[in-house]
Amino acid sequence: MHPILADLRHLLRYVAAWLLIGVALAWGLWQGGLAAPIPALVFALPLCGVFGFVALSSYYLCRSMPIARRTGMLSLTVFGGATLAVALGWLGLGVAWNGAGYALGRGAGLAAMTQPAWVAFFAAGIGLYVVSILGHDVLLAFDSVREAAAREAQARGLARESELQLLRTQIHPHFLFNSLNSISALTSIDPAGAREMTIALAQFFRQTLALADRDRITLGEELALCEHYLAIEKRRLGARLTTDLRIDAATLAALIPPLTLQPLIENAIKHGIHQLDEPGEVRLDALARDAWLHLRLVNPLPARACMEPGQAGLGVGLKNIRERLEALYGERMRFTWQRGETHFEVEITLPLERETDR
Amino acid sequence: MTAPLRALIADDEELARHLVREYLGGHADIDIVGESVNGLDAAKALGELQPDLVFLDIHMPKLSGLEVLELSGRRDGVIFTTAYDQYAQKAFDLHAIDYLLKPFSKTRFDEALARARARLGQALPAIDKLIAHPSAWVERVLIRDREQVHVIAVDKIDYIEAQSDYIAIHSQGRDYLKTQRISDLEAQLDPKNFVRVHRSFIIHLAALQGIERFGSDGHAARMSDGKRVPISRSGYDRLRAAM
Repeated sequence: MHPILADLRHLLRYVAAWLLIGVALAWGLWQGGLAAPIPALVFALPLCGVFGFVALSSYYLCRSMPIARRTGMLSLTVFGGATLAVALGWLGLGVAWNGAGYALGRGAGLAAMTQPAWVAFFAAGIGLYVVSILGHDVLLAFDSVREAAAREAQARGLARESELQLLRTQIHPHFLFNSLNSISALTSIDPAGAREMTIALAQFFRQTLALADRDRITLGEELALCEHYLAIEKRRLGARLTTDLRIDAATLAALIPPLTLQPLIENAIKHGIHQLDEPGEVRLDALARDAWLHLRLVNPLPARACMEPGQAGLGVGLKNIRERLEALYGERMRFTWQRGETHFEVEITLPLERETDR
Repeated sequence: MTAPLRALIADDEELARHLVREYLGGHADIDIVGESVNGLDAAKALGELQPDLVFLDIHMPKLSGLEVLELSGRRDGVIFTTAYDQYAQKAFDLHAIDYLLKPFSKTRFDEALARARARLGQALPAIDKLIAHPSAWVERVLIRDREQVHVIAVDKIDYIEAQSDYIAIHSQGRDYLKTQRISDLEAQLDPKNFVRVHRSFIIHLAALQGIERFGSDGHAARMSDGKRVPISRSGYDRLRAAM
């Protein structure tokens, strides 16, 4: 439904505007010496009232042809044709209504229309319809801007929400309590190591809290967080965990949403290394190619049947990250994961943005 | 003088094992006879070493602590340790089983040890309940075949058949025999995926190809390996409800 017809207040205002145009037209006829004030009003007001409703049709015309998709010839044909048709209708209606004056017993109709007067009348019809088209275009443009703003706000809300959710799951009780147990064991055999591990644990939680508040951080900052995390896990797992981080120096300044990599590394250790008997390597590649940042994380997996129970939820964390990236980048990102027989692999591609670009 | 108590420590983290070793250092009458770094090792060590006490971590690679007990049949002298596991903790509390929450103090450790000592050699029936009725549906089934252990993911099972005093698990063209009651296994499997279609049969819905008429008013399930599984009247109702 047309937004003006859908709201009574808008409709009243709209009709009033057209009646004013009618008054202006009548004033023109009177000033031009074509009619006395009363017949001029009788002639102009109903015509303008009817035209006002016909002009609303341009809303559907404008909506069916969004500005972005208009091409020269086609839009000229469609809008020009519609304008011409409406103006001709307006002229016909004017002639017929004026003729009603004869029926009322007036010799020259309601107004003594001359040929130039009819030409002006026709031109006024064209002008009014063109104004209506332009007015509706502006209305639609406002609408789409409002819609886009609402969509963006929703995406932002979604992103923030999943970020918070991520933060909450971030502080994994299992990780925390096991780390504290390791520290407890270290206090007697390696007090300096216990202190180091306490500090790494504190740094990790502090940075998690600080980074989660920001929209974007550099890959370097995210990696610093991962380093603290890995330091703790290496202390717990000893020789069972090795890492191979191949970070292209050009990527360190690249901007990414906070806590994109760390949860993936955590997954790799929890579902990969922890379930393995033999030592395993977590490998991270970060590359900048053209306008894209590529991240790839690979970890070994235990044989399928040896998975610990409760692994069915494996995909949840990954889906959360994908949703978050989708909300932030839309089509301009790729996030895929692949489970092989012996390895698990996650790949992320994001637009390459740097601090200075912003 | 009585013989010292023999203890096994099962935990995949070196530092966690170290802590137990250190706490046991104060007890001169306890000998540490072995340490296991994964569930499979622990199950083996329990059989071979027959320790009086075992400190058993719940989360370990290969087999969980509870699976270790299921496989080894061990029911006494178990002291559970865990850092955090909502499900296991709930189950322990439900069955009033003592467990050590990491990180634990020396005092708390000595307390658990004293309790275990007092019950030395007495099987804990609560462990049977813990294993038979896990707090979540099982995702794999363990089968002991002499020296070998088979771990079968439940989604690879086609159907299960009860025979005289054991069950046969049909999976990917092989049969595995296990001494267990079919009703006990049924209670551990997610009823959304597994249906008891007959007194002696449980089928995996994913391996069901079709239902055929059998006899005058009976039915049979055609499985993906081509075998036919009889469906009883009440089994047919359960199957319809599950599908």
